[in-house]
Amino acid sequence: MTRRRRALADLDQDIREHLERETQENIERGMSPADARAAALRKFGNVGLIEEQTRAVWRRPWIDQFWQDLLFAFRILRRAPGFTAIAVLTLAVGIGLNTAVFSVVNSVLMRPLEYPHAERLVWLGEYDPAVGHDMVTLSDAAAWRTTARSFDQMASYSFQQSTVATSGTAFPVAAVLAGGDFWSLTGATPPLGRLFGPNERDGMVISWDVFQRQFGGDAHLVGSAVTVDGRAATIRAVLPRNFRFQFPRWWTALHPEPLEAYLTLPAETERRGGQVVASLKPGVSVSQAFVELQSLQRALHPPNPSNPASPGTLHVDRLHDQLTSGTRRALSILLAAGVLVLLMVSANTASLLLARAASRRRELAIRLAIGAGRFRALRQLLVESLALAFLGGAVGLLLARWMVLLVVRLGPASIPRLNEASIDLRVLAFTFSITLAAGILFGIAPGFQLWRTGLHEALKEGARGAGGRFGLRIRRVLVAGELALALMLLTGAGLLLASFLRMSAKPAAFTPEKVLVMKVRLPGPQYSRAMQQRYRDELMRRLGAIPGVEATGVISAPLMFCCTEAFPADTNPNQTHLLHLSRATPGYFRALGMELRKGRWLADSEKGDAILLNESMAREAFGSADPIGHTLKVPEPRVVAGVISDLRYTRLDAGVVPEIFLPVDERMTIGFSIAVRAASLAGIPAAVRREMAAIDPSVPPYDVKTLEEALAESISSQRFNLFLLGSFALAAFVLALVGIYGVVTYSVAARTREIGVRVALGAQRGNVIGMVVAEGMMLGLAGIVVGLAASYPLTRLMTSLLYGIKATDPRIFAAASAILVLTVLFASWWPARNAASIEPVIALRDE
Amino acid sequence: MSTKEESERIELLQGTLDLLVLRTLAPGPAHGHAIAKTIERDSEDVLQVEQGSLYPALHRLIKRGWISANEGTSENNRRAKFYQLTAKGRRQLHIETTRWEKLSRAIANVLKLAGEGSV
Repeated sequence: MTRRRRALADLDQDIREHLERETQENIERGMSPADARAAALRKFGNVGLIEEQTRAVWRRPWIDQFWQDLLFAFRILRRAPGFTAIAVLTLAVGIGLNTAVFSVVNSVLMRPLEYPHAERLVWLGEYDPAVGHDMVTLSDAAAWRTTARSFDQMASYSFQQSTVATSGTAFPVAAVLAGGDFWSLTGATPPLGRLFGPNERDGMVISWDVFQRQFGGDAHLVGSAVTVDGRAATIRAVLPRNFRFQFPRWWTALHPEPLEAYLTLPAETERRGGQVVASLKPGVSVSQAFVELQSLQRALHPPNPSNPASPGTLHVDRLHDQLTSGTRRALSILLAAGVLVLLMVSANTASLLLARAASRRRELAIRLAIGAGRFRALRQLLVESLALAFLGGAVGLLLARWMVLLVVRLGPASIPRLNEASIDLRVLAFTFSITLAAGILFGIAPGFQLWRTGLHEALKEGARGAGGRFGLRIRRVLVAGELALALMLLTGAGLLLASFLRMSAKPAAFTPEKVLVMKVRLPGPQYSRAMQQRYRDELMRRLGAIPGVEATGVISAPLMFCCTEAFPADTNPNQTHLLHLSRATPGYFRALGMELRKGRWLADSEKGDAILLNESMAREAFGSADPIGHTLKVPEPRVVAGVISDLRYTRLDAGVVPEIFLPVDERMTIGFSIAVRAASLAGIPAAVRREMAAIDPSVPPYDVKTLEEALAESISSQRFNLFLLGSFALAAFVLALVGIYGVVTYSVAARTREIGVRVALGAQRGNVIGMVVAEGMMLGLAGIVVGLAASYPLTRLMTSLLYGIKATDPRIFAAASAILVLTVLFASWWPARNAASIEPVIALRDE
Repeated sequence: MSTKEESERIELLQGTLDLLVLRTLAPGPAHGHAIAKTIERDSEDVLQVEQGSLYPALHRLIKRGWISANEGTSENNRRAKFYQLTAKGRRQLHIETTRWEKLSRAIANVLKLAGEGSV
């Protein structure tokens, strides 16, 4: 470009110079100035032509014509600002939504982990049906690490809520016990201190955030002694600010907080379970590693015929696959939904372009008539479409930036790496591609129409612009297609909405907004069994005395996750049940608002062998028989004293879990949940913290929230899916409305004369309205039928996202269709009314 | 003005103008008018060149990188664009000249043989 511009810059001056010299020479030979000049010009040749030929040397015809087309396209677009605005805005929404979803997909599913050798990292899991996720005994993990030869490095980790006490204060941290080659796998380099190695003890590494928040960023911190869960430990290092924990963690739904500290494994971890990641040696395949691990595990745990208890299912997966397995389906569906919206936007834009093309037919016909090649004219149309698409894409990118921020804020913590979503180069490339594809897609229709245009016919039809029966036909097909797509999106969103409502449904008597829940751990050696008992009694007494508190109780396991155990039911010794087994005080049931169905409550200080079942448990173990007075082994024999109402603590897709409640005794867990019911929770959290600090300031409560918040959190990823698919469906709905309105309006305009004739011949207002609305309805029904046929197989792909509703529930399909029928009625009503008020005299004069 | 009669003049073969320009520039840089004059003079006004057609040729050569254009001042102290052979252009001149000589020798031989045969 620059070489060309430099070369051509002073061409005319160069030529002028040449002519002047020649003229000068001629004068010197004795010619008159006028003759000299004329002779010079004659000898030189046609100056304009020469200049043109010289320029032609440099011409790259394709690019030059492209610029010409582009400039022309922008002029055309500027001349129709209304059309341009609508087209650009709808395109921006379509491209923006797609870009936002793709940036999430990019971050969650595609971007490699930021750890070294991310491609060699694998997940070593042993699925434990009792706890519902992978769990490897840490002693097994240690044995694998020393024996297995498929791996370079191996690390184990598990979640641990801990309390850190310094000389001045105590605060809870969400911590990870990190063993093996944990730090070398992450490749972290701490700005302060040294990370701990495989066999060190009593070390702690803190996050940058905790370093700033709790320790004021004091650089002398490294090496200082603290107490973690009542045990002495040393702060070894501070993690860099941008360090991210990117290993899979099943606990995020329960502890969405960022991880704040990393602890060395305590010596006594034999029975503890954890998660294991490893890096494969170069050249070792996943299946080779699996075979080795399987034989190792068989050697570690020889089959025991006397205890056939379900052995865990060992599996080795790429770490990235493991990390994304939970979200892959949902994100793929969102991506597909995005494509549907983009198709609708394209159809809509194509329809708009066709309407315009009809009024531009004369212009195009003239251009063809005066010799523009058909390809040249086609290319002009395509460039116009692309210009429009890229305007939309640019605005869409701005929209997407904002949407990504929104998505990151609203997104649930349980989607790994969602918070890293951003618009990077790959996202930009994606946006560019879909913009290009959309531009070509909606540019095809007007181009096709042009191809079919007979010159003669177009010139004759002329400015009336009403022509393009063919265009109208394509537009009808496009709009019907849009309705079909809209129906698919509406059914999808409807199914998610119905699931969500089902998940959020609660019995009328259940008032989670009046219940405060929190957790506490009584750590360390100073809390003997007797001390723990005393702490709980004191806690109940103090909390119960807070003004406004109606009931308060404790339950052994955290509210959101519980010790599921398998045991043979006493009615059928071969059957095992998965259930939640926990110890709870009677106050706990009152605080949560559970109701007694049969038998009796347990007394406040009851210690014996009486247990409570929830209804699901009673049904599972005893069927319709009365369980009261019967014995269950858990694993010691216990007598059923009462049956209480079912309650879902989480609103996850699972149904109600069978539960057994034991009385609280000295075998209570050191970590437990507290529930407090009050008529109004205002001021209660502060009062509870105050009372707990008064008993022991070194054991602060954590995860303090209302039960309502806790429940909402448990379905945050469902809400997120609904939010995204819902926005798509809304966009689809608006597009369908705009599309059908546009086509019906246009069709009425094209038929003004015909309608005028009808009115003149005595057609009534109602007839005209009916005729126009019927035309819209025909399109609508066609679209709906196609949409239903297409949705029926597609919604099945959503099955794993649904709860309490079948993917083919006819009610949802019916509702979505009804919404679209109403939309079509509404959208064709206005044009119909306008048609009905056509004055025959004016209409007949319409040319 | 040309001093020969129109009938005596020969139209240039396609592409030969490029070779002539390269040859003209071999001794040193020159401006457009000077190049045209040199070609006219050296061909003893036999070759019919519309002076203007020099310019597309010059630009063709610039585009191929065989010559370059620079601002300069001419003998009578006027600003002018000077065209100059590049190293690549010098090599090209050699190639083209050789080819041209081969071609003209071949043609001359053919014509001579044909002339002898007809006697």
